[in-house]
Amino acid sequence: MEAVVIKDLCCTYDGFVAIDRVNMIVNKGEFVAIMGPNGGGKTTLLRAIAGMIKPQRGYVKVKGEIGYMPQKEHVNFEIPIKVREVVEMGIMSKKKKFSLFSKLSREEKELVNNALKAVDMLKFVERNFTELSGGQQQRVLLARAIATKPDILLLDEPFNGVDLPTQEKIIKLLDNLASEGVSVITVVHNVSPLIHHVSRIALLNRELIAYGKPEEVLTPENTAKTYGIPIPTTVCKEGYIHPLFGDIHG
Amino acid sequence: MGEVMIPFLLRAIVAIFIISINAAITGTFTVFRNVSFLVAGTAHAALAGAALALILESLGFHVPVLLGGVLFAIFAAISAGYASGRGKVGRREDTNTAIAISFALSMSLAVLFISMVREYAARVWGLLIGDLFLLSYSDLAIMFITTLLVIAITALFYRAFLYLSFDAEAAIASGVKVGLYDYLLLSTIALSVVAIMGGVGAILVFAMFVAPAAIAKRFAKSISRVFLLSFLISFSSGIAGIALSFYLPFSPGAMAAVMVSSTYFVSVFVKK
Repeated sequence: MEAVVIKDLCCTYDGFVAIDRVNMIVNKGEFVAIMGPNGGGKTTLLRAIAGMIKPQRGYVKVKGEIGYMPQKEHVNFEIPIKVREVVEMGIMSKKKKFSLFSKLSREEKELVNNALKAVDMLKFVERNFTELSGGQQQRVLLARAIATKPDILLLDEPFNGVDLPTQEKIIKLLDNLASEGVSVITVVHNVSPLIHHVSRIALLNRELIAYGKPEEVLTPENTAKTYGIPIPTTVCKEGYIHPLFGDIHG
Repeated sequence: MGEVMIPFLLRAIVAIFIISINAAITGTFTVFRNVSFLVAGTAHAALAGAALALILESLGFHVPVLLGGVLFAIFAAISAGYASGRGKVGRREDTNTAIAISFALSMSLAVLFISMVREYAARVWGLLIGDLFLLSYSDLAIMFITTLLVIAITALFYRAFLYLSFDAEAAIASGVKVGLYDYLLLSTIALSVVAIMGGVGAILVFAMFVAPAAIAKRFAKSISRVFLLSFLISFSSGIAGIALSFYLPFSPGAMAAVMVSSTYFVSVFVKK
């Protein structure tokens, strides 16, 4: 079943074309990785799916609720906010509960706790968000995105500044969510740790260079078109194709 | 202290209490939203509004000077918010750059308008200079009513203000009308600044609306403590300023401003 349908999408910022002629379909329960160089329009594509920017041309159709985890750089670290408050933010925003006196229902509190438990951060619930490590902060932001029980989960570079054990935990969680029917779409710079889990990869450089199964997409021609140079690959003993290096966050 | 001074002293203490509530609420959001310069920007925009009100008065249309000031300040705040494009994702102008340009525009307009009503210029500049000991009951009433309004707006939209200050991108994705709430927040800050400034002068407002929250943010472990600590810092600085002004030949507002600003620099040194 189709969860996201993107047709001939073109998005611009003040006349600057960020992405053009993008056509994609993401099915329910699919785990999709979006790759591409810095400035290639990965974040723009996520924003367009989330409905945050209006397409200049074409359309995006989504079926279900969206959970969005932006890059951590957007967060204001000057506010001494508690972990619980950060995760509550997702639910409160969706329900338009903005008053100082708004309270979460018992079920909503349960959602907050479950989301924190899923990312293994429940024990930090009363800690100050700004005092956590980078990886812990990423997990809290992920908890905020999944607390609303989204049908489509959009993640913008969720592994930035995250150590390997945390990365493994997050991947396992995303894999579980996908198997439960959540469509997971994530922007990554290095797809290797995800390659055993993703169902499809999108290579994006302003235009969609390739979209499909990893072994179909990660060809020297496609990676050369995307990054300017072909990225060598290797096949692991389980038979998955791995790019030998990824680029870094710009 | 002569008994004759008691009503002036009481009014000054009540004013410090009201200013401290504004410093805690508006000041904290000014610092959280990273628009400290907005306090100075809207204060000066108010001058242009006040001057325009006087021009209209000379033409036979009565517009209260403070109302002119408030409207211009809110207009300047909204213009700065629009230019910064907080409600939009992607490329945006730095808010403080937008405020600086709006500041320059409103100061130019103020000078232009004041030159047209030279005989009333003192009334316009009077908005910038106030005295805690010369407050009238109507000054206090305006400050009190504005503060109630500020409390009500902030209580009603507290989380929207917090979310757009913490992570505007995620707030937009959640369907929060960030642009709208940002205008409301900036307008509330502008309203608070001008209403308090009209009574006690701009210097005290500049000091009280930024320094206490900036100090509190460095030490507080939670948002509620930033509010509480900002209130306590501004109230104690204000009271100390009043007390010192009895012994030193200086204005209590200026003394309070010196104290709170110095505390900020000490706090930076202590928690480097």
